[in-house]
Amino acid sequence: MNSKRMPILPVEAYTSVDWFEQEQQKIFGNTWQFAGLVEDIQDAGDYITTQCGHQNIVIVKGRDQRLRAFHNLCRHRGTQLLRAVGKKQKALTCPYHDWTYDLNGQLISVPEKNTEFPDLDLDQICLHKASVDIWRGILWVHPDPNADPITKWFDGCWEKLGPHNPKRLIEYPDTYYEKIINANWKIVAENYIDVYHLAHLHSNTLQMYNHAKAEYGFVGDHYMFWEPLSSEYKDNIDGLIPTKRIQEMTDEYIGAYVPWLFPNLGLSEGEGSWNIFHAIPLAPDKTKVIVRTKLEPMSNWEFTKQQMKSNISWRGIMGGKTKYGNEPDTNSDDPMDWNDFMEEDVYVCEQQQKSLKNPLFGVTRTAIKGESTVRTFQEIVQKWLDS
Amino acid sequence: MSNQFYILRVIAIDHPIKDATTVTLEVPEKIRDLFNYYPGQHLIIKFKINEKEVRRSYSLNSSPFNEEALQVTVKRVQGGLVSNYIGDHLKEGDEVDVMTPRGRFYADIKKYAYKTYFLFAAGSGITPIISILKSVLLASPNSAVNLFYGNRNQDTIIFKKELDDLFEEYSDRLLVVNTLSDPNVWSAWKQWNGRKGRIDSEAVNWFITNHPPIAQSTEYYICGPGAMNISVRNTLLGLQIPKKLIHIEQFVGSIEESNDSINPIDNALLSVTLNGAAHQLSIPKGKTVLQVLKEAKVNPPYSCESGVCGTCIAQVIEGKAGMKSCMALEEQEINQGLVLTCQAFPTTKTLNVKFN
Ligand code: FES
Ligand SMILES: [Fe+2]
Repeated sequence: MNSKRMPILPVEAYTSVDWFEQEQQKIFGNTWQFAGLVEDIQDAGDYITTQCGHQNIVIVKGRDQRLRAFHNLCRHRGTQLLRAVGKKQKALTCPYHDWTYDLNGQLISVPEKNTEFPDLDLDQICLHKASVDIWRGILWVHPDPNADPITKWFDGCWEKLGPHNPKRLIEYPDTYYEKIINANWKIVAENYIDVYHLAHLHSNTLQMYNHAKAEYGFVGDHYMFWEPLSSEYKDNIDGLIPTKRIQEMTDEYIGAYVPWLFPNLGLSEGEGSWNIFHAIPLAPDKTKVIVRTKLEPMSNWEFTKQQMKSNISWRGIMGGKTKYGNEPDTNSDDPMDWNDFMEEDVYVCEQQQKSLKNPLFGVTRTAIKGESTVRTFQEIVQKWLDS
Repeated sequence: MSNQFYILRVIAIDHPIKDATTVTLEVPEKIRDLFNYYPGQHLIIKFKINEKEVRRSYSLNSSPFNEEALQVTVKRVQGGLVSNYIGDHLKEGDEVDVMTPRGRFYADIKKYAYKTYFLFAAGSGITPIISILKSVLLASPNSAVNLFYGNRNQDTIIFKKELDDLFEEYSDRLLVVNTLSDPNVWSAWKQWNGRKGRIDSEAVNWFITNHPPIAQSTEYYICGPGAMNISVRNTLLGLQIPKKLIHIEQFVGSIEESNDSINPIDNALLSVTLNGAAHQLSIPKGKTVLQVLKEAKVNPPYSCESGVCGTCIAQVIEGKAGMKSCMALEEQEINQGLVLTCQAFPTTKTLNVKFN
């Protein structure tokens, strides 16, 4: 079949179940995956689970404060061992027949062992191990217990990220955002790394940055991006910044650091916040996006005051209009009226996915610089599928 | 491993603290390969003192990653033959006989590793530990070190300055917690605001719980008196740290060196209370208290027979005993009359000991 290209990958890569399955195995089940933030597991015996392709992984903290990762799969008859999250477990018990493992994954008890399994040697049975590590305040897992170190996977990336210390920042619960987008995960990723669209789709929502001065490129399989603030913003930062300025974001570093860590984690490290953008593939045309935001510690009052001050100041500068010149209105049926760059992105992702089934669909050209990132990303996906 | 000695020249003598001597040895170009080593390993050095040949092993405190010369640091032991010889007589330009580096206590440091090293040291047990510490910082740029370092007081912290300098340079990857068992209080300008007490089980629990690792591959290295080694190890095992991640320096370069200046009394009379029974035995020339008890088949407790594990500890009730080596005991315990029977020779005509 002489299929259409997007421009590197074929259209089927965004629509077919077969492609989706291949990616689950070869990419998501075979790379370091985002599992949460360090503070998601506080105490010994706390655990969380995460999906890596077809494999569910448990991360549990031991009494030695070290994390361990296991495949969430009972060694008896393969039942999924644990539910999504849990606190202060002393041991891990399977719901089916109560086989019980210690926090090192070692089988320690089997009901009715003497009569039912007289010659079973518990010491020989351990949960299948996986890898877990912490990098940039983020928990990462890899289904392979002998995976290369996470620092090797991200070799060269750290230097291109912001000066932020995510561990110090605080997640405010009402900043959590979750949405199911009716588009393939790669459309979401490509939108995130599309430099060309910034000045256009977001002409009235991301105007506080100077897109013309953006610096970007790939380090390994990871996309790195930085752009400075617009001069207007920079000169009046105290009045315009919507939150408290991140302490480490001194004048020397200030700007937006917005990398896409392969395969599916975006970071957005800005002057006033630190965000993760996790795109979880659910189906060829469905992706769940979770955004979590961390800010400088501050009181509710400080938070509200700074937001109001910033809103008023921006309205003074921009006239507070949307891309199409309307008054911003979050109750409108049209997300383009919401004046929210994230909703603008969701909107175009879904519109692009919709067109894939149109017989006239095609990509004429992609921008030499501003969309080179999309082409490189597709080459990287292709490389993983060919391996 | 060859047991050949090579002649190395002393190129510097320093005193990191009053009672310790750092000896820097130059390795001639043509035998340099033989003297490659892993951080944590030790040297065996031969001295001729008063016409007598003595050998000692000392852990290297230098790092193979930044220094070409070898360095050992020796703390004076009261009455110790070699440590005092080194402190008083060894000088720049002297030549010493040295065997190539060896030992199973070492860290194999990989450039691309992402690891957290937990290091526990007390007194001069710091020597192999600081070698590992420096090597990790120098050679494994993503790895981190958490050091828990015990000493008696402010004046006995060997390498204090060096550790402070390293912290300046590597503060994002190095954490040092000092703890003093008996801090000086009299000198206001040196007032101690840090942690107090020894590295015991409670302290280790506190240290581990409050300093969670960032890199999740971890290793644990312990070097101090035998009793500390054992209590740290048991505490770590109790926290479900896998045995294979815990490394202990047992036999060399540690706190006390072997004491050859004991004058045992021949055929001293030994009275022992053991397992509720009393025994009277005679100690022939050259035998330790434990050897006599073993030969009498009275079931004395023991394990390593090297003065390391502390299993054979007994309380002296009457008389005196001298010990060849006593890594498993702290000075305070010795003052209280505890002895390691595997190392003990009678120095009085009668000796009365009791096992617990
Ligand atoms: S399947 Fe888990 S106990 Fe039987
Ligand atoms: Fe966008």
